[in-house]
Amino acid sequence: MSKVDCKNIWKIYQGNVIGVKDLSFTCNDKEFLAILGPSGGGKSSTLRMLAGLEEISKGEVYFDDIMVNQMGPSERNIALAFESYALYYRMNVYENIAFPLRARGINNADVDRNVTEIAEALNLTNILKKKPGELAGGHQQRVSLARALVRKPKLTLLDEPLSHMDQRIRAEIRAQIRRIHEEFGNTTIYVTHDQAEAISLCDKILIIYNAERQQLGTVDEIYNKPVNKFVAYFVGQPGMNFVQGNVEAKNMASIQTNEGKIKFTFTGEVDSKYIGAEVIIGVRPQQLKASPNKEQTSTIPSTVRIVEFQGDSEVITLELSDIGKTEAKLVIPAGGYRFKRGETCWLEFDPKFTHLFNNEEIAIIKR
Amino acid sequence: MVNIRFENVTKYYGRKLAIKDLSFTVNEGEFFSILGPTGAGKSTILKMIAGIEPVSSGKIYFNDAVVNTLAPHERNVSMAFETYNLYSHFSVYENIAFPLRAPRWKLNLTKEEERKRVKEIASFLGIDSLLDRRPQALSGGQKQRVSLARALVRKPQVYLLDEPIAHLDAKLKFSTQTLLREFAVNYGSTIIYVTHDYKEALALSDRMIVLRRGKIDQLSTPDEIYFNPGLDFVGRLVGEPPMNLIDGELFEENGRSVFKAGSSFSIVLDKDRAQKADSVAHVENDRSMTRLGIRCEDIKLGLQKISDNSFQLPVYALVHEAESSVISFELENTFLHVRTSADSGFERVRSSDLLWLELNPARMFFYQKTMEISKS
Repeated sequence: MSKVDCKNIWKIYQGNVIGVKDLSFTCNDKEFLAILGPSGGGKSSTLRMLAGLEEISKGEVYFDDIMVNQMGPSERNIALAFESYALYYRMNVYENIAFPLRARGINNADVDRNVTEIAEALNLTNILKKKPGELAGGHQQRVSLARALVRKPKLTLLDEPLSHMDQRIRAEIRAQIRRIHEEFGNTTIYVTHDQAEAISLCDKILIIYNAERQQLGTVDEIYNKPVNKFVAYFVGQPGMNFVQGNVEAKNMASIQTNEGKIKFTFTGEVDSKYIGAEVIIGVRPQQLKASPNKEQTSTIPSTVRIVEFQGDSEVITLELSDIGKTEAKLVIPAGGYRFKRGETCWLEFDPKFTHLFNNEEIAIIKR
Repeated sequence: MVNIRFENVTKYYGRKLAIKDLSFTVNEGEFFSILGPTGAGKSTILKMIAGIEPVSSGKIYFNDAVVNTLAPHERNVSMAFETYNLYSHFSVYENIAFPLRAPRWKLNLTKEEERKRVKEIASFLGIDSLLDRRPQALSGGQKQRVSLARALVRKPQVYLLDEPIAHLDAKLKFSTQTLLREFAVNYGSTIIYVTHDYKEALALSDRMIVLRRGKIDQLSTPDEIYFNPGLDFVGRLVGEPPMNLIDGELFEENGRSVFKAGSSFSIVLDKDRAQKADSVAHVENDRSMTRLGIRCEDIKLGLQKISDNSFQLPVYALVHEAESSVISFELENTFLHVRTSADSGFERVRSSDLLWLELNPARMFFYQKTMEISKS
């Protein structure tokens, strides 16, 4: 059991470079939290402060309501696994995993029980006698992960531990990590720049960008209720489409086209002060409704420019020539209508999945 | 523009066989991808086309002319390497302009014409703000786009692109992939593209080959490769999660053909399916064994029994995706992954919950075993 509380923490490097700015968040007991953001945004600095590898410039970090600012890494009872594996190359896999236990003087029988258990959970049983040098990168990463988890720490901190995995075993590894988390139930904080990884593994996501917290929420909240344009675009592949528009009423927006104004409603409402204001309208490529035929008055015409087949879906690049040559992406799952290059595609916004952002790029629809 | 034909091409590195008796044709103006895992021989094929590596035996044709003995500069190809190979003492501009200045192509461009061409391709790839920098001052992703720009700036007979976007971050990779597709559509040139990423190959190609240990496993359109993989290996390489492969026993029970894998996974096969399964079966310890392939989106899940041909398995784990979830089940030597849509009501399932599964018979494949599977 372990709860992590960060209260207004800062990391200021030499020369007044701000690595982390006034960051507060809570990771509850048994939660699997991702810290997600582009590289250089402050994710790793945050993780290193939690681990005690980096001094906290300002603010406080609490583990189970006990302040740990002054504690060294070994006093914090945490496990770490990094992107680079840092394995002992002269020891075999078994001894690598056993190392943290042996370092604590745990007896052989208990070491064996723990190593066997974690090796089974991560499917490493067959390679326990091998040396790290004989293993592929993906395997090495898993050994590194096993070593981090073997001692059942209060808190596990993972820094991009899956970045070198082969695409073909990714689904397996993700399933295994989820399973381990459910079985062992330890609090885990996971740093990644890969939004798909964060969505697939974690219960909650904290997004950090420009050294600052952008949003903390469940996967569903982050994906369906992004608080600003950055989050809306960063999470999701391809990123959200944006187009200029205006607010017409509390639950209605419009887009100016060559053919005149297209108005459409959305669920929820905006503050009345926004009526008449210019806004950015956002809609995900997966949540656009598309048809080869014009169906309702509020549909927007576009031309299919590029079709990219992805197996289980098609990604289509559209040109909205009526709206100042705006480009948009559309994702259609396999089995749906298959558009051809040059064909006209009629778009419709789903009221439930329309987002509006004000001129400071903050989401303004209250749902 | 040319078509390129391989006729029984074999390549040895010393005594190591890299490419084995390979024959295929890339049509004029085609976007042709070579997909395969590391070490399959993909780059070797490109290097033989470029003339950087000699062939050990067999012939390579550009249109109807054998090019085996032509030096690289006599072949009029343009290549982008995964390792960038930029000139560090030149600026980005000069790196991209380099092929335009090569006396060989007798382009004799004026300074303005050259600048226009370089700027055009640089802005197409979103690197026009980097033109004055040196390669050392660039990130890996920026270097890779410079390398790609240098390959695309000239109009050769064929473009050879070796993992040209492998080192870009996810968003940039995706947008650059779209640009490459656009480039191919607009210029209609012959492009041969090497990648280990199946999504790139599917998105970009007119046709593609799946290469394994120097041999072609399948040559077809991306649609065929995904929806109709010819071998277990192809199904496994293309798609995420990869195609489920289940090894099981085939036997008759009360006049019906049954496929059974472990204690719970048991289905009755209709006549067509049974015939296909039987045709690829092999005998192991007196039992008739066969390999069933099915994609994760072709399996239906239910909290209740779905049909007489459904069966129950305990959930191993549930993994979210943005628009869907993947629920995994553990079989004897492999995992079975099933994709469900986000609103399917399975969001709350936990490990060890029992769910019913039904396989779509029309989407079942039966394969000879050409690769080992294991829980890796």
